[in-house]
Amino acid sequence: MKKILTVTLGLLLCVCIAAPLFGQTYDAAKFKSSKPQSQWKIALVPKDATNAWFVRMEQGVKRYAADTKINVFQKGPPKTDAAMQAQVIEDMIAQGVDAICVVPVDIAALEPVLGQALSKGIVVIAHEGSSLENILFDIEAFSNEGLGQALMQVLAKSMGEKGSYTTMVGNVTNASHNEWADAAVAYQKTKYPNMALLAAEPRVEIMDNLDTAYQRAKELFKKYPTLKGILGTSSLSTPGTARAIDELGLKGKAFVTSVGMPNENKPYLKSGTVQAVMLWDSAEAGYAMLAAAVAVLKGEKIANGINLKAKGWESMQFAPGSKKVLLGKSWVNITKDNVDSFGF
Amino acid sequence: MITARRFFARSEPWVLAAIVILSLLIQARSGQFFTGNNLVDLARAFIVPGLLSIGCMMVIVSGGIDVSFTAVAALAMYITDKILLQSGYEGNVILAYAMSAGFGLLMGALNGFLIAFLRLPTLVVTLGTGSLFTGLMFGAFSASASDVPPAIVAHGKETLFTAVNSDLGLSSNMPSQILILVGMLFLAFLLLRYTMLGRGIYAIGGDEAAAERAGFNVRAIKMFLYCLVGVLAGITGISRISMMAYADPSTFQGMELTVIAAVVLGGTRVTGGLGTLTGTILGIALMMILANSLILIGIPTYWSRAFTGAVIIIGTGVTAHQIASTHRSQRDLKKT
Repeated sequence: MKKILTVTLGLLLCVCIAAPLFGQTYDAAKFKSSKPQSQWKIALVPKDATNAWFVRMEQGVKRYAADTKINVFQKGPPKTDAAMQAQVIEDMIAQGVDAICVVPVDIAALEPVLGQALSKGIVVIAHEGSSLENILFDIEAFSNEGLGQALMQVLAKSMGEKGSYTTMVGNVTNASHNEWADAAVAYQKTKYPNMALLAAEPRVEIMDNLDTAYQRAKELFKKYPTLKGILGTSSLSTPGTARAIDELGLKGKAFVTSVGMPNENKPYLKSGTVQAVMLWDSAEAGYAMLAAAVAVLKGEKIANGINLKAKGWESMQFAPGSKKVLLGKSWVNITKDNVDSFGF
Repeated sequence: MITARRFFARSEPWVLAAIVILSLLIQARSGQFFTGNNLVDLARAFIVPGLLSIGCMMVIVSGGIDVSFTAVAALAMYITDKILLQSGYEGNVILAYAMSAGFGLLMGALNGFLIAFLRLPTLVVTLGTGSLFTGLMFGAFSASASDVPPAIVAHGKETLFTAVNSDLGLSSNMPSQILILVGMLFLAFLLLRYTMLGRGIYAIGGDEAAAERAGFNVRAIKMFLYCLVGVLAGITGISRISMMAYADPSTFQGMELTVIAAVVLGGTRVTGGLGTLTGTILGIALMMILANSLILIGIPTYWSRAFTGAVIIIGTGVTAHQIASTHRSQRDLKKT
């Protein structure tokens, strides 16, 4: 009898522990806040507090605070590190915030802590984390497929639609980066038959470090002399690779594009080593995440066409077949002609 | 005279052998290892960890361990970068090096004070100060990736020579920062070999009490040592940002473990008293060749970490085994 009880309790415990790991659907309507708006506290947790991309995002957070007078703030780990990011989120839960907006470093590492937040009634909104389970909504500037295709269009144009190329991601565990790269490769296979993915090294990892991007690019061009293009995802891939292209003397023979910040890429866009990089404005993304969190706290229904009040984020649509992932239309090609117009 | 047996009981020949085997493997797999431009690329990748390893090795020889030197390098270079940018400085890069070395000295002195005078354990102290310096950088200075002043940009463009691979039409520039590494290595060699201070570092690592009785000023030596590590870290900071023309405050994070692993791989005994600059250089060379040749060997990205880990385990394993068996044979000698 005692044995049966022990086993039953043990199983029950396992179920309780494992429950947050399985796909759950949360009812956003239950997250409506009963507190007055002036007492709300909303944290935005980026991947890395120091990366220029997220410094820019914080400007959107500050603008949102000024526009709405709601207590919103950004707090990120000092470097791109999954464990450190989970720690920051735990701290936010302990501080009793009403909503957490997060740009995840590593999906798997965050699921438990985000599940914990939701179970305490904290609204969780993600960005660049469409495969997260323990969130209410994930908002994307565009579909991962759309960006992957757009990146491939830029690279294909630079390469004259022919030759060998490979893909470069921040980390092989980074969900969005890999989805963009996958979509780009799929698009190339249907649209550009004269281009070919480098079979021996189809995906290279730069650990989100500029110097590593430079070193990996140099290695790639040495090992594979026929390699003509690198399709990057991390914003550090283009400046790192472009520096390698310039130094190796491959300007005009090898090409690179990725998501990228105007200032970091300006010298290479102006000199012609790089033709274009892609961007959505992280400040607008930060603003839109907070708007989504506030909409849930106010008890507004999140439906197709919802306006998150940021540029390119005015009419969000659910991704096909999803009730969690909302897609916007917010991207822009940065070229030598418009690189000076961003002010960052 | 060094007998063959004593020679092979040291770790340097084994690390050297590993480098040779790895080089031949890379050459066989890519045909690109022994090309001028590849060697220049490797030398370039060697500069920053090489500079950091000098201080790291001396601390381990003295019986301590320092895990804060990357944080010191990052904070020293970041404060220097910000001050020079804000003041619109357009002069020589030497001032940047001097300032950064100065900030490094201050941070090293804090380590030295806590370790030499309060006699706190080195690992705990440097874990604490490392965290403190990183925290100050992100908290007090709210650091983010930044441009660098024109003097540092110009310094980064200085090229000693360009190695051209005519087969592939590829070229690589040897950065002038390599001279700083060579200079620092030479000074460290003189210090360790010919000065009483240098011999003292070995002595306190071997047996602190015995060193004190023999007349070494243990406190002063430790204080000097941690200050020196700080200065070297500060210099390394400027070298790093000049080569990328971009000051990224998180660029050093995680590098301390690579450097410590390389120093141990090079035969420096973790408990102190034993270690050479030659071994350290070989250890760093092995780690850097490995880190920057996985694509050349043709190891897929998903396997690169497993491969690197295996080489470190095998490499340090061989070193540790060699040292352990030397001890055994010495013990056996005493018995008879």
